[in-house]
Formats: sequence, C-alpha cells, structure tokens
Amino acid sequence: MNAARIGDSPNRVGGRERVTGQQMYVADIRLPGTLQAKLVTLDCARARIISIDKTAAENLPGVSLVMTAADLPQPVPRFGPQFEDRPVLAVGETKYHGDPVAIVAAETAEIAAEAARLVRVEYEELSAVYTLAAALAPDAPLVQDPSLRPKDPLAGTNVLREHRVGWGDVDSEAADVVIDNRYSFPIVTHFAIEPHSFMAAPEGDGVAVWSSIQHPYWLQKILAKILRLPLARVRVVAPDPGGGFGGKQHTKYEPIVAFAALRADRPVRLILSLEESFQAARRAACEVHVRTGVRADGKIAFQDIEADYLIGAYADIADRVVSKGSYPGAGPYNVPAVRIVARSVLSHTLPSTAFRGFGNPQVNWAVESNLDEAARAVGLDRLELRLRNLARKGDAFIPFDTACDGDWQQTVRRAAEMIGWGQPLPAGHGRGLAVGIKSGPTTGHSYSTVRLLADGSVLVYAGTSDMGQGARTIFAQIAAQELGAPLDWVTVVMGDTALVPYDQQTSASRSTVLMGNAILRACRSIQEQLRRMASELHSVPEDQIVVENGIVRLPDQELTVIQVLKAGLGRMGGELIGNGESRKDAEPDHPLQGSAAFFEFNCTAVEATVDEGTGDITIVRHVAVSDVGKALNPLQVRMQDEGAAIQGLGHTLMEHYIFDDKGRVRNLGAIDYRIPTSMDLPLEMESDLVENGDGPGPYGSKGMSEGALLCVAPAVAAAVREASGAVIRDLPLTPERVWRALQERDGKEV
Amino acid sequence: MQTFAYLRPSTLAEAVALLEAHAPDARLLAGGTDLIIGLRDGSERPRVVIDVKRVPELCCGIRDDGGTVTIGATTIMADLATSALVRRHFPALAEAAAAVGSAQIRNRATLAGNICNASPAADTAPPLLVYGAVVLAAGQHGARRIPISEFFVNPGVNALARDELVVAIELPVPAVRVGAAHVRRTRRRGHDLASVTLCAGVDETGVTRLAYGSVGPRPVLKIDESGVLADPAASGAARAAVFDKLFAEASPSPRSMRAGPAYRLAMLRVLGSRAVQTAIERLGEERTNG
Amino acid sequence: MADTLPVEMIVNGRRRAIEVPVNVTLLDLLRDELGLTGTKECCDVGECGACTVLVDGRAVDSCLMLAVEADGAEITTVEGLAADGQLSPLQQAFLDKGASQCGFCTPGQLMAAHALLQENPDPSLPQIQEGLSGNLCRCGCYFQIADAVLAVAQSGQEGGRK
Repeated sequence: MNAARIGDSPNRVGGRERVTGQQMYVADIRLPGTLQAKLVTLDCARARIISIDKTAAENLPGVSLVMTAADLPQPVPRFGPQFEDRPVLAVGETKYHGDPVAIVAAETAEIAAEAARLVRVEYEELSAVYTLAAALAPDAPLVQDPSLRPKDPLAGTNVLREHRVGWGDVDSEAADVVIDNRYSFPIVTHFAIEPHSFMAAPEGDGVAVWSSIQHPYWLQKILAKILRLPLARVRVVAPDPGGGFGGKQHTKYEPIVAFAALRADRPVRLILSLEESFQAARRAACEVHVRTGVRADGKIAFQDIEADYLIGAYADIADRVVSKGSYPGAGPYNVPAVRIVARSVLSHTLPSTAFRGFGNPQVNWAVESNLDEAARAVGLDRLELRLRNLARKGDAFIPFDTACDGDWQQTVRRAAEMIGWGQPLPAGHGRGLAVGIKSGPTTGHSYSTVRLLADGSVLVYAGTSDMGQGARTIFAQIAAQELGAPLDWVTVVMGDTALVPYDQQTSASRSTVLMGNAILRACRSIQEQLRRMASELHSVPEDQIVVENGIVRLPDQELTVIQVLKAGLGRMGGELIGNGESRKDAEPDHPLQGSAAFFEFNCTAVEATVDEGTGDITIVRHVAVSDVGKALNPLQVRMQDEGAAIQGLGHTLMEHYIFDDKGRVRNLGAIDYRIPTSMDLPLEMESDLVENGDGPGPYGSKGMSEGALLCVAPAVAAAVREASGAVIRDLPLTPERVWRALQERDGKEV
Repeated sequence: MQTFAYLRPSTLAEAVALLEAHAPDARLLAGGTDLIIGLRDGSERPRVVIDVKRVPELCCGIRDDGGTVTIGATTIMADLATSALVRRHFPALAEAAAAVGSAQIRNRATLAGNICNASPAADTAPPLLVYGAVVLAAGQHGARRIPISEFFVNPGVNALARDELVVAIELPVPAVRVGAAHVRRTRRRGHDLASVTLCAGVDETGVTRLAYGSVGPRPVLKIDESGVLADPAASGAARAAVFDKLFAEASPSPRSMRAGPAYRLAMLRVLGSRAVQTAIERLGEERTNG
Repeated sequence: MADTLPVEMIVNGRRRAIEVPVNVTLLDLLRDELGLTGTKECCDVGECGACTVLVDGRAVDSCLMLAVEADGAEITTVEGLAADGQLSPLQQAFLDKGASQCGFCTPGQLMAAHALLQENPDPSLPQIQEGLSGNLCRCGCYFQIADAVLAVAQSGQEGGRK
C-alpha cells in the first residue's frame, strides 16, 4: 500500500508501464486491417503544382488509396488554432519544404513509401523567403494569399501581425546610459523522442482518431468542423505523448489521416519519421533589437524592444507565441517606461509552433544579456542591478496585469548563494546569472469527474495529457490526499474524449493549477456527500462534521472515509461521484485577452570556463531556482526544472536549423541536428525551490515546467564573457562561434 | 527498405566468388552502421548484400604474430578499443576506436567498414596512417597488401578493386619507442562526426608522424623528420613553420555545415600541437615504464 | 515481395523460428512481427538509442541491424528485464530516482544501462555518462538516469539481473 500524500515523491504513476515497455504510445497500438500511410512532398519549399499523376502509385499492388487536394471536399477545408489558414493538403502551391501534396495508404509501410515515390508531381519552383530579411524586403514574394485576410492592412506584406504593448514614455524617460544591441535566436526543434504519430478509423457514424497530441479536445473541435460531424461522433484518443514540449499541442496531419480512413473505410496510420517530425514543428527564430536605458543608480529607466519572430508558412499557434512571448519582455522588474513591438513574420519554412517557454526565451536572451551590459556600463554588480529593479510582491510591474505574485528576491538570492556569487573565482572561470519570467495561462477551462467506488478506491477523470511532466501522479496524489485512499488505489483516466470530460489544453504549465483545482473541487464535492452521509448515519448535524485528508471527524469520534462510505452505501453498494470545474475566463480588454493566472519565475546561474584554443565551453556548475508556490511532488519538480535546464542548454550551445537555398533544412534528422547527450551536461547541476504557498493551485502551488529553460542562454553567455571576454549576441554558442569571438577579442581577422 | 538478395558466405573463397559474380551491384555488409542507413533512405540500392561477418578468415580477432599485430576485418570498434594488445602497442588506435559513435555503434561498426567507406572523417584512419598499417585484401586474383597510405582515394572511394575485400589490417609493432595520441573536434562532447580528426606519433628518434582527416578528400600522413615537433624546447616560431608545411595540403570544404574552413584550419593547429604534446608526454611515460 | 530467410533466435529466453524478409530490420521484426513494442523507433540512424536491445549480451541499435543478421543470436528487449512480474533492480531504480519522464527513451536507456553494468559493475559518473551517451533523453533525465545506475551499482545487484 502506498501512503504517499501531497509533498511526497512517490514513484511516478504510469512509471511501471514505462520501465517495462508496456506503455502504449500511438505507434504501439495496432488495429486489425490498418493501412499504413505516407505523405508525398516536393524537394523544394515553394512550388506551383501543375499536375499530379497518381496512376503509377495507384497501380502498385497493395496500394489502397492515393489522395490529393482534388479528392477532398471543395473548397479544401483549412484549419488552425488561431487562423484557419492551413489546408488539409496543399492546394495549388506548396509553401514549405515538407508541405504534403498527397497521401498514400497501403497494406505495408514499405509499399506506401514506394507508392509515395511513384506519385508524379509536375511543379514549377517559385521564389520564396526563408529569412527575416528576405521576408521583410519590400518586393518579397507573399507567403499568404492576401484574400485570406481581406480587411487586414498588413495583408500585402509578410507580417502576419504586429503586437504593441507598453507603458510610460520611452522617448522622454531620462537615462544616464543607453545600451543598444541586436540579438538573434535560431530556429530549433522539439526533437521529442517519439516522432509525431497519427491513426484514424471509422467508428459508427463517425470517426476515431489517435494522436500523440497535447490538446485532444481542441483537435476534436477542429475535426468536427472539417468533417462536418457533431463533437459526439468525433472521438479523439490521446495516449501519453512520448515528449511534447509544445510541439504536439496543435492539429497537424490528423485531418488528412481522418479523411483517408473514412474514404478507405479502414483504419489508417501515419507514423512520421524523425525527419518528417522535424518538418512538422519548430520554435520561431527571432531577432531582437533592444535599447535599455539605465540611470546611474542602476535603476532601469526604460526598455525599448523590437522583436521580429520568423514564423512559418502557416500560422499554427505561432502568432500567439509572438504576442504572449514578447509581452513580459521587460522582465520581472519595475520599469517606468516600456515599449514592445513584436511582429510575426511569415516565411516559406515549416510552421513554427509552441515550444517550452512559448516565445519568451527569445526576448529574454536579448533583454537579460543587455542588462549585464547595462550593469557594466554603470559600474554595478550584475546581481545587484537585478535586485535593485526586481518587483516586490504586490508590485504591478506590468501595470495592467496580475501583480508580482511571489518573493522573487528570495529566489534570486538563493540562486546567487548556490553559485557562490561574489566569491573568488578560479582563473579562467566566469559566472553568469539571469532571471526568467513567463505569464502562466491567461484563460483556461478544465472539468474533472472523480468517482469514489464502493471499496474506497478512486477513479479520477482528467483530460490532461501526461507527456512526461507527471500530471497523472499529481492528480492521483490530490485524490489520495483528499479521499484518504492509498495512491495505488487511485486510477487516473486520461486520453479519450469519449470517456473523459473536457479540458481546454495541456500547455503553459497549467495542469497542476487548473486541472488540479478541478480535481480538488470534485473531491471536495465527494467530501460534502460523505458529510451528509455521516450526518444521517450518526444523527449529527452536518455543521459539526469535518471531512478532510480522508478522515471524517465527528464530535465524538473519527472515522475513515471508507467506514462512512461502506455504511452509507449499504448493501446495495454504489459510489459517490463528484464533479469539479475550474475556469479562467477571458478578459477582452486585456492585451493578451487575459491576465496571468500566475507567473513562472526562475533564476538560473552558471559557472563556466572556455577552452581558449577550441572555443569549447565547459559549464562547471549550473543552478536553477524556481518559485513553485508549493511542490506537490518535489522529485517531479526537480525533474522538470533540470530537464528544462538541459533543454535550454541545447538551444544555448548547439541547436539550430541550417537551410539551403531551396529552403530545405540541411540538417534534418538526428545526425546533423545535435542535442545534448549525457556527455554534454554541466559538471554539476543543482536545482532548488522556493515554496511560500502563494500560488493559485491546490495547496498553494503554481505551475512550473518551463521556468528553468527561460534564461539559460543569457546566464551561460554571461559566464562565457566573464571567463574569456568573448562577446556573443547570436545563439547557439557553438565552439566555432566562441572561437570567432575570441579572435575578435584579440583583434584578429578570421 | 527496397529488397535485395541477402547472401551469407561461410568462407573467404565463397565471399570472393560472390563478390566477383555480383559486383558492381553488390555491397558488403559488415557492421552495417552506414550501409543500413543507406539501404533505408534509398541512397544505397544494391541488388545483392553480402554479409561477411561469418567468414572465419575475416573475424579471427586481434592476433599477435610477433612483430606484427593482425586485426581481422570484422573486428568491432568495442573490441579494438578494449584490446590489451592494441592498447599496449597502438594506444592511439584504441583511443580512436573508442571515439567512434556510441557504445551501441561500437558494438557493430567494424574496423574494415570504417576504412572501406573511405570517409575523410574516419577516426581510425589517422592512427592507422601513423602506425603504418597495411591492408590485406583478397580477390579473385589472389591476395595483396596495400599500404594504408595508398588505400584512401577520394570520399567514398578506396583502393580496392571491384572484386576485392579487406581480410585484415596488419600493424607492425614499432621497432622504436613511440608515444601517440588521437584527438578530434566535434560539435558536442557526445558522439558526433569529426570536423577534424588527427593523430600524432612521436618516436624516440625524434621523428613525428602526423595524420589528419576531415579537412580534405582523404586522410593524409605527414612526417616531420627535422625533430622540431618532437623537441619540447623548440621555439613556437619553429614549430609553426613545421605545422605550416605539414598542414599545407588541408583544404576543408566551404560547403560543410559541421564547421567552416577557417575554423577547421585553425583547429588543425590547435589539435596538432595538443596531440604532439600528449604524444611526447606518453613517449616519456614509455621510457619510464620501459 | 521481398526474399525471406528462415531465422532462429532466442528472444527474451524464448526460442523463435521465423521466416523473415531480408530487408527488415531487427527493430521492425521485434515490433511488427513479434509484437514487442517496448523497443522504440525514433531516428532510424543509430543516433538516439531508443531502439537499443541486447544481442548476445551487447547493446546495439536494432534499427541498424537486419533481422537476418540476428540468426542464431540471443536477443533481450525491455520486456525481458522483469521476471515473473518482479521489476529488475535497474527498473526499480529508474522509478525510485525519477529516471523516466515521458518514458519513450526509457526502454533503450534501460538496455544500454543493463549492458553497461554487465561490463562494468562499478562505473563512475563519467563512465555512466559516456556509456549511455548513445541514448538521447529529450526530457533531460540524464542526471536521474545516472543516479539510478549508480544506485544499482552500489547495491551490488549487478546488471539488474537476479
């Protein structure tokens, strides 16, 4: 029996399946008679499709169907979470390398692959834009057909939207020093170890779709609209994703797989290769121009930020990434004047989407790096400058948003202490420290049903996706705590829209807070019912009975939940059912249509050395401290923080897409897109938590899963600079780039 | 993966006959760590795949023939890296073998495969060049011995005739004491393809052998007989002049996405001097131990 | 249709005699023919280690091996680690130390760690990090995985085999 409660770190619920190979991911699920699908793509980014000849492919034995846009309802349905701009298959023109023009379904994956090669596409390559400079050039070819946004004055440009936010008057605020720099952040990709996987099958008069997706209910809504089916006839099964990190939030190839399954009247599955996954999701590149005004006393006078994000050919959720990611760009500081102009710029590249940190790391890299330069310019310690400006609890540091909701000084001081800030450094070593902040969810809507069964065991229904963050464990711990069940008597049911009530999405580190509260409320509803039961059973007025932590407390005795339940249900048995809802409504006048449910706050500090000969960076020590309100499961919190930190080291040190002149990603796949291995880690890594119980989630918790990724890059670059004098404003900090900066430092030509 | 005929000869004669019969549509399969990638992505479309792992003449392991160490063609990197014999006489080769891929790759990839692919970045090539290896090849017209310095022709092209295969690699045990080191440059510390791979061997007579790859169409061997590199007291300018000469042939591709040419050329110097320094230190240890 | 060959192998202790197409990898054979889906497919180029299995005790990427090459071999997959429903010490340590998040890389990590401990029952942290560098974990559990391997090594339960 597992007596673990809130604040303990029991083994992950679902962990046993993971270590025995029994966990079923989408690609592991086999339905009889399933066809294997393959997408047909062109060998360039943008092309006009002249004709598609399916004959040879269709005649290959074992091929069941070949579908192009012409085989879909006309006009071809378009979808997208923010703009309905993405066709189910390319119509008339491909817009990025990897944009599918057809799908093939066959008896085996091999036949499907062969048939995909046999689909003859006659096409004319068109001029295209792959960089911000090219996309913003006056005569740039347009990525999006202007008729898709008829009333938009930007329709004739590649700027999808421009977001302006700010306060005070940047132009008149007095500063003693102005630091003016440009920074760049590359395109990186999620590289979840599970490639994106989809399957669909006709079911009754509707369809069932399996997807490794983070937002099954959003997918259900999109499919219902495209397929013209009622929601109740679209069943989305969402097995635990094998890593998501934002890349699996939104609908990708589920619509075309569903159309194929309905047409073939058989199950169809599409398991992407890693290379195809690389063409399905990525983070937006960004160029940031930041002017930081600082007064001699170290107070920040203003932040003037222009951020251009290079998004893809279809918007996906990228424009929301741009607006929400740039919005807290001035950081967790009290800054009297702020101007942020962020633009989402379309290009003929694969769609960019959510990625852990959601647009914040790009601007954070620039602004935090600039603060270091500001500190140097006014002769102030870099930590001290931050502490002088950091918002205090209750400060309206963003005037129209949630006030500072934590003791951020405590977090920063703890990280500084852990890295030994101010202590003497060995020769050749340097330290860097940076803070990161991210707006939590701005809207949300979660339902949960909890069933207390006759023997005291518990079923929790939660529509959250457990993609590794450990939501299932947290939810089980909440139910165990509230209803007194052993943890192994709690089953959390997830991942099926036909069984589990609605949850808006699994993103923005929301689930502990939003779904957690829904579960808590459902449990509390059951506690109410238990109170009533006990009142009747023992003839004690309800207001004299307390139910908490699995105990029913009467004036003269304490009973366990099971005792009351069994007596109350009697011989007929039955169960108690609780429903819980938690919502955060939109605020139409808010710049983000909603204030932050909480802020994720992290301070990262590193100590590093640089190999003067090769440019190699060694991170000697990496510390990450997050304000989590309350750690419901401290081990899982540590795993999230350290995992986020290591992921952040990827884009800091080595990751980036390299495009060729046809807009193809040259380093597609695992051989030339490098992510950190177990040998690429800091020599020491330590994380710590600040717990003041001041969050809006259960037991005072806050969301946390992204914080420790936000500010890795500026912390590492600062340490590199102190260690070596190398100044770098472009990520990643590859050995070659560091070496070049060292040559520049020494005035050598490269 | 397209289909092909899979043949598994059990003698060298059979393997040679199959190769003769099916070349040029045949590919030899040893470790398969490159071939299978090619078969899957369609860049390799042979009609016949000849698996040579069960040919006894190729997999007799690592043998000391007195003055010569013979390494069977299908010896895997993991065995090479941990072989006491190799580590004693040819430590830089063991070092290079340990740098190839991950543990999983080293459990499959073979020495012969590494050199037969004739990748300019092959990590075992520089130590084999420094140690003066000889490739034993067999074909329809008999066996022949190819000095390793003549084995690499161009990227993907080796000196074997169409019907020939590598049986073993022979390494002469150095007659004089040698200190050697293998070093490489990669984009991360975890397994990666080398953007510079280099081996230095310094012997007690003052001769330095320097072999390097991934900076031109083939790995090359250069020899400094002046004694300058082997002399720890030599001036920086003198050493730089020698390096100028030894690296003159390096011509890294400007099209590579793994590293730019300027960086590769600069790293040749850095790695070269570090490897020579380590080699000198190891030579010193040899003396002490000897 | 592809040529096939008869192949005999022992998979997780069970003798199997199968007719195998020559152009199928060991990974596909395990997942598609034998239903052992614990072994995962990701990069297909031997870079990520998700498909790691033991062939005659050695860790290999099953995506880089033809199934016919395994003729006569003894194969162990993640499904072969637990005996009679009892987790191996390594599996238990992965749970206790939090070495599995999304879990997709976990089977490969376990197999590589198992082989590592068989070869070196008392590895140092750098040796573990080197030995497991062929197994990518994007959730970033590397320190927790190393903790788990160290814990098993220190407990003397070599290789997780009972």
